[in-house]
Amino acid sequence: MKSIVVCLMPGAKFDKPTAGLLAAARGLDGQLTVIVPGTVGDDTTASLAGQADSVIVCEAAGLSEYQPELVLGVLQLVCSDLNPDIVLLAGDTYSQELTPRLAGRLGGVSAGDAQSLKLENDNLRVTRSVYGGKATAVVELRSKPAVVWVRARSFAPAAARDSAGSIEKRIVELAGEAAKSVDATKIVERHEESTGTVRLEDATLIVAGGRGLGGPEPFEELKKLAVVMGAQQAASRAACDAGWVPVQWQVGQTGKKVAPELYVAVAISGASQHLMGIADAKIVTAINTDRDAPIFKHCQFGLVEDYKAVVGPLTERLKALLS
Amino acid sequence: MKILVCLKQILDPEIPPRDFTINRETHQAIQGSANLVTNIFCENALETALQLRERSPGEITALTFGPASAEDSLRKALALKADQACLVEDDPATSHNSATTALVLAAAIRKLGEFDLIMVGREAGDWGAGQTGGLLAEQLGLPYVAFVDHIESAGDGVTLRRQTELGWEKVEAHLPLVVSITNSEENVPRIPKTRDIMMSARKSVTSWKLSDLGLTDDEVKSNGEALEVVDLYLPEKKSDCDFIEGDSIDEKIDEFAKRLASIVQSA
Amino acid sequence: MTLLAALNAADATREVMWNISHSWLMYVLLVPTMLIAGYGVYRQVQKWRSGQPAARFDRPAERIKRVVKNVLLQQATLRDRFAGVYHFLLFWGMITLTMATIVVMIHHDFHIDIMRGRFYLYFQSLFVDVLGVLAMIGVAMLAVRRWLLRPKKLVYTDESTWLLILLFVILGTGFLLEGWRIAATNDPWGDWSPVGIVVSKTSLAVAGVETLKSVHFLTWWFHLALVFGLIAWAPYTKLLHVLTAPLNIYTANLDHPGGTLKQIDFEAAQSFGINSLEQFTWKDLLDLDACTECGRCTSVCPANTVGKQLSPRDIILDLQGLLDRSDLASLKAQGHGERPDEYEPAFPIIGTTDNLATEALFECTTCAACVEICPVSIEQMPKIVDLRRFQVMEQAEFPQQMQDAVSSLEERGHPFKGTQLSRVDWAAGMDFPTIEDIESPEVLLWVGCGGALVDRNQRSTRALANLLKKANVKFAILGREETCTGDPARRIGNEFLFETLATQNIETLKTHNIKHVLTSCPHCFNTFRNEYPKLGGEFEVMHHTTYLAKLIGEGRLKLDAQAAQKIVFHDPCYLGRHNGITDAPRKLLQQVSSQPLAEMEMHGRQSFCCGGGGGMSFVDEPADQRVNQERARQALATDAETVAVGCPFCTTMMEDGINTLKGDRKINVQDIAEVMWEAISSEAR
Repeated sequence: MKSIVVCLMPGAKFDKPTAGLLAAARGLDGQLTVIVPGTVGDDTTASLAGQADSVIVCEAAGLSEYQPELVLGVLQLVCSDLNPDIVLLAGDTYSQELTPRLAGRLGGVSAGDAQSLKLENDNLRVTRSVYGGKATAVVELRSKPAVVWVRARSFAPAAARDSAGSIEKRIVELAGEAAKSVDATKIVERHEESTGTVRLEDATLIVAGGRGLGGPEPFEELKKLAVVMGAQQAASRAACDAGWVPVQWQVGQTGKKVAPELYVAVAISGASQHLMGIADAKIVTAINTDRDAPIFKHCQFGLVEDYKAVVGPLTERLKALLS
Repeated sequence: MKILVCLKQILDPEIPPRDFTINRETHQAIQGSANLVTNIFCENALETALQLRERSPGEITALTFGPASAEDSLRKALALKADQACLVEDDPATSHNSATTALVLAAAIRKLGEFDLIMVGREAGDWGAGQTGGLLAEQLGLPYVAFVDHIESAGDGVTLRRQTELGWEKVEAHLPLVVSITNSEENVPRIPKTRDIMMSARKSVTSWKLSDLGLTDDEVKSNGEALEVVDLYLPEKKSDCDFIEGDSIDEKIDEFAKRLASIVQSA
Repeated sequence: MTLLAALNAADATREVMWNISHSWLMYVLLVPTMLIAGYGVYRQVQKWRSGQPAARFDRPAERIKRVVKNVLLQQATLRDRFAGVYHFLLFWGMITLTMATIVVMIHHDFHIDIMRGRFYLYFQSLFVDVLGVLAMIGVAMLAVRRWLLRPKKLVYTDESTWLLILLFVILGTGFLLEGWRIAATNDPWGDWSPVGIVVSKTSLAVAGVETLKSVHFLTWWFHLALVFGLIAWAPYTKLLHVLTAPLNIYTANLDHPGGTLKQIDFEAAQSFGINSLEQFTWKDLLDLDACTECGRCTSVCPANTVGKQLSPRDIILDLQGLLDRSDLASLKAQGHGERPDEYEPAFPIIGTTDNLATEALFECTTCAACVEICPVSIEQMPKIVDLRRFQVMEQAEFPQQMQDAVSSLEERGHPFKGTQLSRVDWAAGMDFPTIEDIESPEVLLWVGCGGALVDRNQRSTRALANLLKKANVKFAILGREETCTGDPARRIGNEFLFETLATQNIETLKTHNIKHVLTSCPHCFNTFRNEYPKLGGEFEVMHHTTYLAKLIGEGRLKLDAQAAQKIVFHDPCYLGRHNGITDAPRKLLQQVSSQPLAEMEMHGRQSFCCGGGGGMSFVDEPADQRVNQERARQALATDAETVAVGCPFCTTMMEDGINTLKGDRKINVQDIAEVMWEAISSEAR
């Protein structure tokens, strides 16, 4: 079994998704090669080598930044040399864009958004959420290679292996059709919307406040909690209407529809219009004084207490637990 | 500009959880009393195409691959003033995956003629695979840009805006090109005028079978077998809220914090 | 006085045209006056006649009754006390004076000797004088209101000012002429004209008879000129309502306002909905000319009250303006013709003024407070829906959130996009049959989307089902077969979708052989009661308040606990105003409450909307313009501890409003079914 992990790493950092991706790959037997199309620092290369049998850092004209046709051409060339059974990518925009095409180029088959991976009779089985989370499917990829992008953060990072893998720098030159098509598309501008913040729709963790907070000040308290958790802040319509927080924070039928792994509702009673916005959240929990508040019907677990007595100590406890 | 928009008809994704049931033998969702609707991202794609046609002259063809019922999606596209519509009809009993869909769509597109821009939705609200666009691009040998939410025609080519995790990018592209469309504030699907809905019933829809495209059932089937659903099940969902109990508020907060921390760490 | 005593009252009369020479000139002037006035009326009549047909001459007995009530007795006008009183005075004053003039004409021109004797004294002198004074008082009150009180709902135009001055001067000069004639002729019957005699005596104190004669002569012609001027001008002013108001009241819609929306013939209609004057019915156009600018509609409009653009009065007046400037009649001569591919309105309406802008039209909750209060039976709300229809069906341009609701209705038969609930979630754990299990239920419980698909209302629906079970009612629900009745689609303006949904529902109910329908949603109730019959769906439908009252009356449902809290009832528009049901819910509540019911100032048929009708419950209103908060304020102004409602939309709107504004106060919002269920002790349950 030969596996390849493609690390696009636009940030050129050995970050959590990369670690998760490698852990996912290591969960499968066999030879593991990491391909990095582009330049990265030596530290990062070393970290990658700690997780794989070999690392190939590709260099080519213009490869310092992601351009779809160029990167695809390079990957096609390098991967087909290795004749892999499995190619894994992370869940970023570029990986999602490349996955089906790489499968097409390598004559394989593709799948996306894998939450877990398993080998069955030498075939890769991918578990993924379907029908908007209402069902779970297991899909078997029976053509080689199986090219899959995984929900990288779902995989717990693994410790480095005892012996580091080999590191190779490979200069790649595209020829023929691949070389000609490189200029078909060109990313000419890249914009980040206020660094560090994620769109609420894409947030993994959300801490939201509602009418029960009674004013803008408690949102400052919640901010501390959110920072400790690495969460985005959100609010119910009532809180946005009251002008306590910007309207962009509003989650609900008429606000944003979010799908985080965890949604913490603080002093939100859970009007239906709010609940419609969090229908896709994986885990919902709430802090509310009213045990009968509708929000609890949608919670996996909950805390019946006054948020005023909870948020401060909770932030401290979490800081200790998460550090 | 000649634009082709691929549409997929799916089981209404808004079907309430209690009404959602599956057949564990066939690995398919059961329609029950739910409706079939056009996938939202496909509607975003059509909307993006309509807006593009409003800014620069063009012609829009809507294409779908699915059972006879999928004609409804095409009728809606015609009501929104798509210029023509084409259905590649298949047996509703067979389920198709991204690979077979891309194969069939590519064959249909070749038969329909030359297109400058081929648009698909980023993913479908049923299986959510998000593979068809990229696979289609490879079938047709065309370049591909994913997660596009705005298209401007620019000289011989187009300028695209596409969404990324952290923001957006501007992409310049030559034609012909395949793009997948994602939703934005701008491409919220318009709704058809009632008169146009009534008129659309009278317009003609090209309807082909696989054999019309030179594809055999076996060819499609073998392509489909490369990717097989081996299980489909409903995830267990705990219905009751587990209230955190404890002798003191500190104890409760402690327990609450531990639960949060474990989720945060795995996320 | 001695002279008077010697005279025989039977001979009492006066000389008509006394002191007037060249009286032929009056008849000459009358011709152009009547021509101008006649043309004014004719022109408008022609314009009305260019409208589409409408059957408004059926049931003459009811119509005459309506005219007696609202024209002769001025009942609707008198609902506004101040304005009502002066209008009553002016109305009867002017009628009396006109009749007096007709008496003069009969006497003088037709040479029929009726202006004589006791009739002359009692009517022509005394009564006319008194009514003239009352009319003067009316004019004075009018002036006070327009220049001192200055209510916001009035329109302040030069036309109104001039009309007011004209009326005053005409009445005033009338009295002067009478007084001077009495003085100069030393009229023995002068005492029968109380104002005349005062003017006479005062004038004689300051001037001689000859002077009075000359002034009288000049004033007479001046008075005549003003009267003729007014007659000629009136049809071109809001005084046209003297003709149009009674006509409009006679041709009013006699049904509940809930049943007034027009049906569309989708095969034949030139346009779906209206964006051109000639597409209105003649009655709609007559409505425009019946408006007196009184502004009551706008003053009770919930959207306008919270500061939105929508103003029914200004919609009517702006349409009237368009009608004035249009050459409708010529269009009629050309014929309306077939609809071309792209419909081009001949006399466009939407967007021509701020009041007729799409935004304003889609602020309407279709509560029909405007229709209810209008003293001349103008139907503002249905016209707003006509215009909305055009925007929805011909333009597909209307608020996004309403579009979402419409799409949801099309795709899944309910307007609540994004709901996680199914039609039967509320019944989880409860044991009762669906229509599949029970052959002929006593009654079908039509849950409605609002009752089934909104978390909050599951409680109300469960309470109602529990009450029915308690009363051993053999009921069933349609379950997943139920879809929206079509009410929101119709009110938003998608008549096509409404018909589709309605036809489908009627079909379903007929298949199951349903005769009796029970619903807790006044919108569903209204649709079943007033709209389905027109599409061939005749069912006996009851709102749950009426039905529960019936169960209690029959002894099938017994309450054994009392609510201790003070209750106020918020009338749902589609129950109270649209269907006239205001007593049943109050009687129910009175039975369960140990305290007398509180009442908000606006209640019953004059209730104020919760803000949720007409598709507005799917729309996010600006934070400072929320109708539900205004209504919540009105509820909070009472000392109630429970706001009882009888509509799932009202429940969520009122609860949201109350929760926002209540502060520390203990007050909740409950459906009547919930209140009732609590009035059954747990042992008895």
